[in-house]
Amino acid sequence: MSQLELRSIRKTYPGVAEETLKGIDIDIASGEFLILVGPSGCGKSTLMNTIAGLETITDGSIVLDGKDISTMEPKDRDIAMVFQSYALYPTMSVRENIAFGLKIRGLPKHEIDQEVERVADLLQISQLLNKKPANLSGGQQQRVAMGRALARRPRIYLFDEPLSNLDAKLRVEMRTEIKKLHQRLKTTIVYVTHDQIEAMTLADRIAVLKDGELQQLGTPKEVYDRPENLFVAGFMGSPAMSFVPVTVEQGEGGLQAEVRGNDGRALKLPVPEFLADRVGRKVILGIRPEHITQPQDQKNDQTLVAKGEFTIEVTEPTGPDVIALIQLNDTNVHCRIDPEHPVTWGETAELMFDMKKVVFFDPETEKRIAPH
Amino acid sequence: MTDVVRTGFRPSRVAIYGLLLLAALVYLIPLFIMLVTSFKTPMDIRTGNLMALPTDWTTIGWTKAWSEACTGVQCEGISGYFWNSFKMTVPAVLISTLLGAFNGYVLSKWKFKGSDLFFGMLLFGCFVPFQVVLLPMAATLGKLGLANTTSGLVLVHVIYGVAFTTLFFRNYYVAIPDALIKAARLDGAGFFTIFFRILLPMSTPIFMVSLIWQFTQIWNDFLFGVVFASGDSQPITVALNNLVNTSTGVKEYNVDMAAAMIAALPTLVVYIVAGKYFIRGLTAGSVKG
Repeated sequence: MSQLELRSIRKTYPGVAEETLKGIDIDIASGEFLILVGPSGCGKSTLMNTIAGLETITDGSIVLDGKDISTMEPKDRDIAMVFQSYALYPTMSVRENIAFGLKIRGLPKHEIDQEVERVADLLQISQLLNKKPANLSGGQQQRVAMGRALARRPRIYLFDEPLSNLDAKLRVEMRTEIKKLHQRLKTTIVYVTHDQIEAMTLADRIAVLKDGELQQLGTPKEVYDRPENLFVAGFMGSPAMSFVPVTVEQGEGGLQAEVRGNDGRALKLPVPEFLADRVGRKVILGIRPEHITQPQDQKNDQTLVAKGEFTIEVTEPTGPDVIALIQLNDTNVHCRIDPEHPVTWGETAELMFDMKKVVFFDPETEKRIAPH
Repeated sequence: MTDVVRTGFRPSRVAIYGLLLLAALVYLIPLFIMLVTSFKTPMDIRTGNLMALPTDWTTIGWTKAWSEACTGVQCEGISGYFWNSFKMTVPAVLISTLLGAFNGYVLSKWKFKGSDLFFGMLLFGCFVPFQVVLLPMAATLGKLGLANTTSGLVLVHVIYGVAFTTLFFRNYYVAIPDALIKAARLDGAGFFTIFFRILLPMSTPIFMVSLIWQFTQIWNDFLFGVVFASGDSQPITVALNNLVNTSTGVKEYNVDMAAAMIAALPTLVVYIVAGKYFIRGLTAGSVKG
């Protein structure tokens, strides 16, 4: 149960002109599950390594429970880490792997045994204790790696892309397990991933990084519904949010923006009133697949809803939905359509646009235009 | 395709195996001649065929080589020199291998500024011809008071071997994931604990490579032995040379051959015992785990 503060962390590698971390500020509350997410090379792993003490920081400070640990050796920080490659000691049995850190810290043997048993029970790996890592499956190795971290009861747990070496099915299973484990143990976790679904499902809060800069820090819902900028909007969600350039116009019933399909048919979409000061100017409409669906009768009378006919270019059935591709103002846009409402590629279909949750971005600054 | 491989008797197969067999025979003939000659009587050698088996099997060549043959002025056989070689080889092999392991650990997992350059320069050590260092080394050993001693020879071989052993271990450890070291550091292990508890236990294959390589090199070395050791501290390679070149009347080929076999046996034994690790270690690019 520990609280971690990252205060304007900067990191420059020797001989590299550009900073890898450009002043990261994050407060992680006790028991919080924070996920660092971003494309490869964004600095998320570097940030994690600096928290662990495996890399030094150039500037800033790392404060754990009110104590500055920026210059401490990794072993003195009381932090445990689960690695992407698991990093199990190949010559040691599972038991020895889990006990290693405890042994080095000089715990008496009976306490070590007790702790190993506790962790093995917790992760259901008791029957594996005498095996060598090479004889375990990927999922089992993953559990052992978590066991090794749990055994020391450290103040903070770091997870460095722990699930990315597992196959898809196992990944989903382990994801649930990690979430359960966190709910049970209420530990403080910092978790690095490039998988935005992992981030959405696991996190209390998500920190989106790009090029060593914090783009947004917020709950999964905040990050998903109110992305700060184009990058965050495009990164979170699958299929990604589509970005359509539109011009805000003053219509009869309120503000509107015109979108044109590739067959030339146009539709005036109602847009919210906070765009009033941008009439006549270009904005970028950020629209997620679930905002464009088949016509839904219950939405007919709602405001900020429009219907229009567009040509379906591609359909991708995923099971629960069909992802259909249309063109609006010469950009590809994904729609999420109920499979019970069949659409065929090459033909037109009537689609409903729900504009209540769409977002708008300034084309210059790429920042979200916030409602006043 | 697998069917084709399995159908045994095909002309191409026969040709390949025939050729392999022939090559093996060619390589074995000298060994065969040495062995049979060492068991012959001098009479037998003079009159009989080189390839023929001994008419009277006798171990007199072996016993004479071991304890009676003359190597220069003394006639005490090569047994003393055999142990000299052991006293020189075993410490030199162990020390150079351990140093190499340690160097490799630092150069792969605790890189410092200029460590790659350092490693590159160390590699030059693999290519320096023995002859180049003879004089400076002699001067150095003299200053250290180690001239003409087994310890001096050990030192020379350690210095010469470290370049190779470092190369072996460094390349082996480079393939071991860094995450392992990071995990150990977070577990609280320090520099030495990581080396002795994590890396060394994983190093058996490369240890075998280094042991075999160093043992063969150092045991078979002649030049350093003849230059930096004298009299009682000479290794067996030098003694063998002296034995063969000491002529008192008729050449005793059976004794020469037996002595040569004795000189060659340890490297042979080491290879047979640790050979499977040698191949495994040379081909092992990475570590399973």
